[in-house]
Amino acid sequence: MASLLIKKASIASEDNDELLLADVLVENGIITKIGNDIEAESATRVIDGSGKILSPAMFDTHIHMREPGQEAKETIKTGTEAAINGGITGVVLMPNTSPAIDSAAMVRTIYDIAERDARIPVYTSGCITKGREGKELAGIDGMLQLGVKMLTDDGDAVPDMMLLKRAMEYASEFDCFFASHCEVLELSGPRALNEGKVSYKLGIQGTPACSEEICMDRDIRLAHATGARLHIQHVSSKIGMETIRWWKQMGAKVTAEVSPHHLLFNEEDIGNYDTHYKMNPPLRTADDNAALLQGLKEGVFDIIATDHAPHTPFEKEQDFVSAPNGITGLETAVVSLFHHYINKGEFGWSLLVNRYSAQPRRMMGLDPVAIVEGGQAEFILFDPKGETTFSSDFMCSKSENTPFLNRTLDGSIDLVVVGDDILLQR
Amino acid sequence: MESTLTEVDISNGVRAIAEQIGQCNQDGKFVLVGVRSRGDEVAARILELLTEMGIEVPMGILDISLYRDDLAHLNSNPKLQGSELPFPVDKAHIILVDDVLFTGRTVRAAIDAIMDYGRPAKIELAVLIDRGHRELPFAPGYVGIHLETQRLDYVDVKLKETDGVDFVEVIQNNKG
Amino acid sequence: MTRKDLLDIESLRREEIEHLLDQAAPFKELFTRSVKKVPALKGKSVLTLFYEPSTRTLSSFEVAAKRLSADVTTFDVPHSSVVKGESVRDTIATLQAMRTDYIIVRNQMAGIPLAIARATKASVINAGDGAHSHPTQALLDGFTFKEVFPEPAGKKLLIIGDILHSRVARSTSTLMRKLGVEVAWLGPGSLVPKHGPSEIKRFTNYDEAMKWAPDAVYLLRIQMERQSAPFFPSLREYTKLYGITQERFKHIADQGTYIMHPGPVNRGVELCDEVMEYQRCLIDQQVENGIATRMAVLYWLKPHTAGNDSLIEEDTN
Repeated sequence: MASLLIKKASIASEDNDELLLADVLVENGIITKIGNDIEAESATRVIDGSGKILSPAMFDTHIHMREPGQEAKETIKTGTEAAINGGITGVVLMPNTSPAIDSAAMVRTIYDIAERDARIPVYTSGCITKGREGKELAGIDGMLQLGVKMLTDDGDAVPDMMLLKRAMEYASEFDCFFASHCEVLELSGPRALNEGKVSYKLGIQGTPACSEEICMDRDIRLAHATGARLHIQHVSSKIGMETIRWWKQMGAKVTAEVSPHHLLFNEEDIGNYDTHYKMNPPLRTADDNAALLQGLKEGVFDIIATDHAPHTPFEKEQDFVSAPNGITGLETAVVSLFHHYINKGEFGWSLLVNRYSAQPRRMMGLDPVAIVEGGQAEFILFDPKGETTFSSDFMCSKSENTPFLNRTLDGSIDLVVVGDDILLQR
Repeated sequence: MESTLTEVDISNGVRAIAEQIGQCNQDGKFVLVGVRSRGDEVAARILELLTEMGIEVPMGILDISLYRDDLAHLNSNPKLQGSELPFPVDKAHIILVDDVLFTGRTVRAAIDAIMDYGRPAKIELAVLIDRGHRELPFAPGYVGIHLETQRLDYVDVKLKETDGVDFVEVIQNNKG
Repeated sequence: MTRKDLLDIESLRREEIEHLLDQAAPFKELFTRSVKKVPALKGKSVLTLFYEPSTRTLSSFEVAAKRLSADVTTFDVPHSSVVKGESVRDTIATLQAMRTDYIIVRNQMAGIPLAIARATKASVINAGDGAHSHPTQALLDGFTFKEVFPEPAGKKLLIIGDILHSRVARSTSTLMRKLGVEVAWLGPGSLVPKHGPSEIKRFTNYDEAMKWAPDAVYLLRIQMERQSAPFFPSLREYTKLYGITQERFKHIADQGTYIMHPGPVNRGVELCDEVMEYQRCLIDQQVENGIATRMAVLYWLKPHTAGNDSLIEEDTN
């Protein structure tokens, strides 16, 4: 019988910030005992968890893995290894690959590749429209039959409101939800950065926040009118957060996510045309950072998701307007959120576990992986006294386009366990 | 071998040049052109003495920064002060005036600069100090003071208008 | 002290700007000689990389470089309206291999001169990047302004036109403000940026702006952009509200206000014919000063290419 004993760890849960100090025994992939001074059998692997946090493993619902089509940036193999490196044991892929994931055949392709290459479960979303072109509906039923839960044209909004409305009405029959990348294309300009004092300074046409906010409002109203479940992706602004908060109060079936980078950075970080701070939606102002954090704490944002967007160095080294949007996030999310927030007392582990482990799973129709007797073993061991330096060597992702490159942050992920398997141990 | 020149030495040197120029050019049909920097100050003093001697000539100032042959090797290019030649250069008899004649590169630059203004009839050279060690084949027509120096010595010239005091010091370079 | 590159006005200290403006004068003096050339940059290679078409700025730089005895080459690049960033990256690789001493770049994408400057040892001069910066234009404008107002601090400059898209407006505003000049902007509400320095007064009404009594007005070329959402209804309407019409010109001439324009002018749009004959119209001076200013810039910058990095300071008389 395969067994694993974690000794004297501080167990985190989504219920409260108090960490339970205990030993945790895992047998055949199930947590069989949580208590003090559990004796280890001779065959058991024993890991000393003293001073460390034992947390349910994370689950990221917004990942770009670029396979098929742009494997130079990332593959399902390297992307899932990067996820494990960041304490994440389940991912939901975005469908803007080449070709796009807009049919059962493409979904099957993803599952086949994942089966072959990934050590963690890989879920995928499906396009709303064929090829994400915004003209015809994608093969929705076929995809949903294969277990797809999220429909999105992420990378773009659906410009044709009638088409989106019809998609929502059609899909009300099925168990799925829509995820919206919000922007009004006519207001977007070159999609380079926020319209504000930095766009003035750098001499580049910016995208006003109202572009995202208008589309957000539009999509929520359409969902409300059709009865569809809606999830708003990567919210970047204060008014955007307030829009969602208001609609939730009105009883709309809407959930929302925020990314670590929109919480931590703003347009000033772009400095002298640094493309490590270029993504869509763009970084906005310090006021927006504060409002988004508030929204996260209050629960306006149900989940945290990274929008992990790998790009090659050659592409990111172009001039600011031409460089592609996006930064990686799988490996840096947990540590950066710990370093900037948990370690500084902004919020506790319960929030992180709820927003980045439990809620994302629930949204996808999965059970959370709480650390309780009888539960599935799926957890990470986090050392709050450790350090992580995000060097090229450390990172498993094929791409390095992260503002944290070569930075050292507080905290480290020392162990990742799924079932019987230790996926990572440092 | 260290040596210095006092205010009196300098004054005597300038007088010597003015007298030589006066003797050789009694018709007064020449112009003085002082080479920045300090060459213009020396030229002004010569001009004053010539005027006392009853010889009235025009004077111009030449900035040779743009004609130096060592610009590519400098950390930053010298600041320009501009030239002023208030007379036609074509057919002129020009006496260039500088404070120190050393390798001769400044003279070459000055001649190149003058030539871009026009075609003078004749160019001569007057220097307050000739310290030897020519690297180009130029010879001065009028010399105030001959100074023996080593190649690596540094001749520090201070003149009242530019530096507040008249003083010349030869500083040995001990690295040699 | 000096720099390798001239990419914008923002990063220049006031002393550096004053120095460059001061140094343009000796170069201007050379134009009266029969031989307008000096050997200061003899044998140095200057490459012009103009992704946007331009005859005026390009030839101004070419003349400036040639008068310094440099060798000038035009690097042939596509003039399409959308230049892919990748092609610039590949061009940078070629530029590195060519080891030129100076590269003069004009591009629609803001930030490209910076990218090139980081990647090569050559001295990079930004001849205009998108809506961001046009430092040599600002310098020649400053030089021209100082010819008329040797003590510029406290003087007032009104810039009229499409400020939003104008790198000239931005750079010249920054430079003038560094010299202590008060700057104001006038134009349609859709073309006067609300972001940018709050000290700059913003006017959308011509008469209001003229009540502010500027010492000089700086006119920007106005065009109808070919796009789905125009910034103003028509050129005619623009001229009616913001152009220097004959009537407005009479008042300007009475006040003795100077007029500047970066060129090329759109007669009948931002100005009337009379402006071009006006004694206090500085447009021709701006062009002449452009060459002198660009010579001063080329003389001042120091590339890091071979032969340029030994540390000699003293004279070898």
